[in-house]
Amino acid sequence: MTDITVTANGGGRTAGAAPSARRSWAWLGLLPFFAFLFLFLVVPAISVFYDATRNKDGSFSLAAMKQAFRGQNLDAFKFSVSFSAGAAAVGVVFGTLLAYAAASATRPRWLRSLVTSFSGVAANMGGLPLAFAFLSLLGKQGVLTKILKAAGWDLYSGNFGLGEIPGLITVYSYFNIPLMVLITLPAIDGLKQSWREACSNLGGTTWTYWRRVGLPVLTPSLLGGFLLLFANSFSAYATAAVLTQNSKIVPLRIGFFLGGDVNVGEDAVGYALAAWMIIIMVISMSLYWVARKRAERWQS
Amino acid sequence: MSAYKPRFGRVVPTIVLVISGLFFLAPLLTLARFALQNVPTILLGWSTLFDKWSISGLTKAFDDPAFWPALKLSLELAGGTVLLTLGLLLPTAIWVHMRIPKARALIEFLTVLPYMIPAIALVAGIVVVKPHARWFLDSDYALIPFYVVLALPFTYRSIDAGLRAIDLTTLVDASRSLGAGWIETLGRVIVPNLRAAIVSASFLTAAVVMGEYTIANTLLKETLPRFQRTFTGREPQAGYGLNLLALLVTVLLFAILSLVTKKRERSLISRLSRKPT
Repeated sequence: MTDITVTANGGGRTAGAAPSARRSWAWLGLLPFFAFLFLFLVVPAISVFYDATRNKDGSFSLAAMKQAFRGQNLDAFKFSVSFSAGAAAVGVVFGTLLAYAAASATRPRWLRSLVTSFSGVAANMGGLPLAFAFLSLLGKQGVLTKILKAAGWDLYSGNFGLGEIPGLITVYSYFNIPLMVLITLPAIDGLKQSWREACSNLGGTTWTYWRRVGLPVLTPSLLGGFLLLFANSFSAYATAAVLTQNSKIVPLRIGFFLGGDVNVGEDAVGYALAAWMIIIMVISMSLYWVARKRAERWQS
Repeated sequence: MSAYKPRFGRVVPTIVLVISGLFFLAPLLTLARFALQNVPTILLGWSTLFDKWSISGLTKAFDDPAFWPALKLSLELAGGTVLLTLGLLLPTAIWVHMRIPKARALIEFLTVLPYMIPAIALVAGIVVVKPHARWFLDSDYALIPFYVVLALPFTYRSIDAGLRAIDLTTLVDASRSLGAGWIETLGRVIVPNLRAAIVSASFLTAAVVMGEYTIANTLLKETLPRFQRTFTGREPQAGYGLNLLALLVTVLLFAILSLVTKKRERSLISRLSRKPT
């Protein structure tokens, strides 16, 4: 608790040109907030790393951190990373297309606000109800499954399952695409009509415009969106808990270790998985932050 | 001008919009069908399409003895989380805006930290700490501060945006020079001007808490989402009904929310008093 306020104090002093006693006292007003974050976010996060790097006897050891990348744990990481990357890619492509469609459709005037309002809702619509909604659509007894079967396409004759990679990507698209719409819509609005006109005056085609102007300007937003959607898919728990079995994705595997059904001493592996997850999230969110700052350059 | 928009540029957006509409509507419609129509999918066809629809699937969960305690706990958690969020963030955000604007970037960074420590990692930390703080963590209400943390990125941004839209210093100076104390200034000047931001922060928080499954499930707290899961396993149709209801309530919350925020944007006062940035 004190650590944080001290560094915050120091930060204020070095940053300020003329440190006044008044200013340093002002930082004290943030003490409750810092203390709260410290207790309920920093302490749990540090505890995860602490317990992930301990032996059974309490001495420092990286055994669990390494164990988290072996056998079934490694499979879980591979599975999680591949379906999250896939879900992020699908979300980026279709989210951008939908945002572009909403931005360029002028005819019904309510259309754009409908798309943005709905995106605001659907981007937050993960969790249990979404999983059950997709089970009713594409589960073994799902309505679409039956319609497709009647049309001669038996989804479940192959490896399809809502808990497999294509299935999870489909379900996660339900909140990833709207999230991408919310991210790219400001960037697409930032594409100025005059750039298009300038490009055309200089003899460029639509293709030249997108190749030389549109896409380069959108790239930071698209990259940032990919990272955010990846992090979003990688960490989602509730939806996957309904759809998959045998805890084959990382968040469910952490839950499996935390559930206490494992041997004593093995629980460090659960914490190690959580520690790795935090590391992956920190990396992707930091890169997202950088991409967002670059993207904002063109949005005025 | 249309000269810059080739015909291709009209057809593609329409197709994209129609397909998206189908994708986003279909799961909701089939969820409603499972909840409201008592016909197994095997028997579903043109002849049975309109058979056995009834609203009873929606309300059947209410008869389950475990439903009401779970709903009560979730509502209490939502209320507690909203109060703690506002109690913690309002003074902090106001303080930052008035006294140490330099801290704004730091606070903004801290409030997005929960994105980097997702619910499942946070609950792993809680499990580690639990043996040292049983007196606190054994209580169901111990979830409240962690739910405040989970909702923090949304709630702080909403309150911060509200504060940016008003000229806080002028309002406070005016109120103070008219003889109001700090409490009075907060209650009768600042809070009424932030009403939209407070409402939206509260709704977002409530939506997060009412749907939170990860932490509650790992710590075995019998909240509504946990009940939703087990109940749907026991009674599929009524369970789907309950999930449909949960979804509808969330959509309703967000619909009200977007009305409230739009009204704020339309309000002349807030537009006039918006600071040039």
